[in-house]
Amino acid sequence: MEQPVQTETWKAQSLEELVRILHQIFAEDKVSVEEVRRVTLWEAIEQNPNPLANTLYFRYTRNLVDNGNGKFNLMILCWGEGHGSSIHDHTDSHCFMKILQGNLKETLFEWPEKKGNGEMTKKSERVLRENQCAYINDSIGLHRVENISHTEPAVSLHLYSPPFDTCNTFDQRTGHKHKVTMTFYSQFGERTVC
Amino acid sequence: LPAGLSQWFPAVEALDVSGTGLAEMGTELLSLPCLHTLLAKNNRLGGPGSLPKGLEQAPLARSLRVLNLSGNRFAEVPPALLQLRGLRSLSLGGNRLHGIPPDIQELHSLEFLYLGGNFITAIPPELAKLPSLRYLVLCDNKIQSIPPQLAQLHSLRSLSLHNNLLTYLPREILNLVHLEELSLRGNPLVVRFVRDLTYNPPSLQELAGRTVKTRNVPYAPSDLPESLVRYLSLASNCPNPKCGGVYFDSCVRQIKFVDFCGKYRLPLMHYLCSPECSSPFSSASQSSTSQSESDSEDEASVAAHRMQKVLLG
Repeated sequence: MEQPVQTETWKAQSLEELVRILHQIFAEDKVSVEEVRRVTLWEAIEQNPNPLANTLYFRYTRNLVDNGNGKFNLMILCWGEGHGSSIHDHTDSHCFMKILQGNLKETLFEWPEKKGNGEMTKKSERVLRENQCAYINDSIGLHRVENISHTEPAVSLHLYSPPFDTCNTFDQRTGHKHKVTMTFYSQFGERTVC
Repeated sequence: LPAGLSQWFPAVEALDVSGTGLAEMGTELLSLPCLHTLLAKNNRLGGPGSLPKGLEQAPLARSLRVLNLSGNRFAEVPPALLQLRGLRSLSLGGNRLHGIPPDIQELHSLEFLYLGGNFITAIPPELAKLPSLRYLVLCDNKIQSIPPQLAQLHSLRSLSLHNNLLTYLPREILNLVHLEELSLRGNPLVVRFVRDLTYNPPSLQELAGRTVKTRNVPYAPSDLPESLVRYLSLASNCPNPKCGGVYFDSCVRQIKFVDFCGKYRLPLMHYLCSPECSSPFSSASQSSTSQSESDSEDEASVAAHRMQKVLLG
């Protein structure tokens, strides 16, 4: 029986190890999206003793973990109950999202028409469970991510490459877009003062 | 709750009995002297006896700061809960509430109130009497309108209203000077300019009342029946600064768009004394009778830096 060719699967046992592996992968000039996808993460929460300490109710907090020598941003997002993001794009970057705790609903949208003035078109939606991973980039579409639970907060790990700090948010009713600057609630464990 | 809880753990300050299938919390709670946090999410609470009787006299009534009853089966806010006068944070998310009792104002230390994911249809104006309320979550309900009194919540920093049945907001919402976050998506908010809604012509009583007020006709309580004296005291001022008129019951409801911090257009309800009166938000150069279909003319002076997150779509 033929065995399929196996390429290396990275298994990070901790957040620190994950960061080390990512640095290694991104040290090359060419990075395979598939390779990054296959980085699995075990017990990341151990390294972040209390991710919920950074949860502000119905405001998600973005907590920067590592800036990958400029090649990527790795951050942890804490979502209060009922909180969701606006519909947004990803400024030509690759985005990986892994659920560390709780569940997040992802709704995909088509890009609005140039002169869009109608309700945006939903492509699909799914609920991502703990440990599930999602990937998106601008050619796939736009999305909204929300914690639809009224009882449990959620925590997700995000990897963006190349890093970006502005994106566009979209009004679902009209397709109008609006550029926003994203900020961090904390960086490398320290609270960011705005 | 296990019997003897307070004997074995008299110093317990935080108790988490979430996800245990509890259908009622009995008198064991009453003898806990220092409890400040009680988490009882995802249980089967909601029937009578969910909270023990005699809560008012228990130390809990003063000591409890945080109560989380989300994911249970409450169809109404249990009256006993309103005895917990020291409560700072209350969550009843994901229950079966159809309304909010006006007596919620008894929880005068409340800072955080989570009521998302219920079947609430209306908000009592008494909710606005909570002086320390900073976070109010009302998302995923069936709310059709917001009482203008909510603008009295001077401490409010975050208001979550997404996924309700709102078509407009009261213009008083602009008075919430400390509001940093507002979520409104998933509401059937009016997107296009809406012409005047129904206008019932004023009654003779109203016309007389208006004349008394605007002409400053003097009157003393001995001159009029008590009911009319009371009626005259209820005059509302027309918000048009150039008008100076008053109205009682007969007013024009008009939806106009206000540019919120220069970014988002919110449909706000204005009450004017007559269809000829122009909105206070119209710029001076506009003719008062022009009712243009364009919604980009109105601007409110809401400082952009205050509103950090307005989620409309």
